[in-house]
Amino acid sequence: MADSVFLAISVLTIGSAIAALEVRSLIYGSISLMGTLGGIAGYFLLLDSPFVAMFQIAVYIGSIAVLILFTVMLVRRQLIFTKVEDPRRRYAGIGLMLIMMVALGAIILSSGIKTIQTDAPPIDFRTIGADFLTYYWPALILMALILASSVVGALTLARREDMEDDQRTN
Amino acid sequence: MSAIAPKFRFSYFLKSILDNVFWIVTLFTLIGIPLVMILLFYIELPVINGKKLLDPYLALTTLADPSRQIPMLKSIIHSDFFRITAFPGFGFAALLAAATIFIERKMLAKLQLRVGPFYCGKVEGILQLMGDGLKLISKEIIIPAKADKPIFWAAPVLFVATAAAFVSLIPVASGGWVVADVDVGLLAVFAVIGFFPVITVLSAWSANSKYPFIGGLRALHQMVSFEIPLILSVLGIVILTGTLNLTEIVQSQDTYWWIVFLPIGAIVFFIAILAELERIPFDLPEAESEIVAGWLTEFSGMMYGLVQLGSYVKLYAFAALFVVLFLGGWHGPMVWPPFPEEIITNGITMGPITVHLPGLPLFDQQMLNDVLWFVIKTMGVIFVILLPRGVFPRIRIDLLLHIGWYKLIGLSFVNIFIALGLLYAGVLGPGGIL
Repeated sequence: MADSVFLAISVLTIGSAIAALEVRSLIYGSISLMGTLGGIAGYFLLLDSPFVAMFQIAVYIGSIAVLILFTVMLVRRQLIFTKVEDPRRRYAGIGLMLIMMVALGAIILSSGIKTIQTDAPPIDFRTIGADFLTYYWPALILMALILASSVVGALTLARREDMEDDQRTN
Repeated sequence: MSAIAPKFRFSYFLKSILDNVFWIVTLFTLIGIPLVMILLFYIELPVINGKKLLDPYLALTTLADPSRQIPMLKSIIHSDFFRITAFPGFGFAALLAAATIFIERKMLAKLQLRVGPFYCGKVEGILQLMGDGLKLISKEIIIPAKADKPIFWAAPVLFVATAAAFVSLIPVASGGWVVADVDVGLLAVFAVIGFFPVITVLSAWSANSKYPFIGGLRALHQMVSFEIPLILSVLGIVILTGTLNLTEIVQSQDTYWWIVFLPIGAIVFFIAILAELERIPFDLPEAESEIVAGWLTEFSGMMYGLVQLGSYVKLYAFAALFVVLFLGGWHGPMVWPPFPEEIITNGITMGPITVHLPGLPLFDQQMLNDVLWFVIKTMGVIFVILLPRGVFPRIRIDLLLHIGWYKLIGLSFVNIFIALGLLYAGVLGPGGIL
């Protein structure tokens, strides 16, 4: 059961990743990108971590893919994209990807992933939360500060300076 | 004789119906019943009290024997299929959604000193909804010539499917009356909500028409920006209960509701709901006086019907989520009368005949009481969601975004600090006084 689901998710993820690169229509490409991201959420579900899977869906499909879609819809394709057909670049890209995959695979295989017990119980997200607040608190504080500063920066950027005070909504 | 169908005769109509009935009965007798009998030998049915639930040799006696039907009904009720399609799932939500549409039209009419639906079904236009549904089903589906057909066809179906997925996460009564009781229920809700802007903007783009596109962009702005206060405003509850499971959140409100301690969060959540649902005063995506019908403009026939069904199911789901999070879910005083004992012990006596019905009652008293309170609260919240439509005008989009990004996010942070204060003061939460 799990094997067939894994196969199905793999086909979905890799297939829609290829489609996202190769499809001519930008809209369909971004829909395929959503398929890829959803497939990764499916992997997390298979790995018994629904918490990460739900965040994957909520953040990547619900926000980032929507932003990509939104940008693509406002773009006039024929003006900014001139298609460069160059077989050497394509083969170089494929070779680079293969090298990357082999290197990443070697790193993952040497990281002791083979000794992981596959029937271990899944880690509760409450444990992760407790760890964040106790042992990893500097990382949490750092992330919080970065996020807060980026929110403040976004609000500052969004504030329009060319607007008169009586035009400003309040 | 009507002008639309000049050859119409009522007797012909009756004859055609009787003809169809005759053929259905004949074919069912000759093919259907033998097929059912053959199938029953191959289906694995549950065994209750040492007997098979539906013995193929006794399949026809079941029709006349209520003591055999009740276990069957019970096993159907407790199956996953029933949960998904009928009771806590889609059927229940669609029924409440249909009631909502009717109540909305009548109430809006009363608020504006009109009559509303009146003629269909004699009594206050109670059959108007059915008439509208029949009209939508029988109308032609028109697709714009330059539309992107796959997305255009898929969008209404996806919209209803996403709304149904949302409904499946809502617990309705104690004792596990929920389709999907997941550990990260609240996060799953937000993951599902994230699909609505995608579907909206895709359908708006695929129609290849100006008004839907403007409406879709407005919907995208509105939904994406109001998702943030929506998520932030419920964080207070998550902090205080220490769980993301919706059933456990309801169980934590046994003695007091969270709206008592977190009123700011409830208000922010409610306003964000209004914006997510595109209700007045935030109905810019389908502003009928500016952009025809917004992102719904090019939909016709049953596609429009599906989108409407989806949006009202979504309305029910958001109202139910508000009840689950802030209004104590199914908790309430026991008002449902207990099942009469003498029917269980003595059976039903009608003149000379006494019918014993083992296996009754179908639902226990607690569950029915829970459902009653849940429906009352949900209808109350739906009423409050509908009410602004008769009162407020539509606001401008810059005001809308200003409310979302400045005021609601600020207020939801205030709410989080209130929750943290209550937690660290030791009033609520794990190990608190209350």
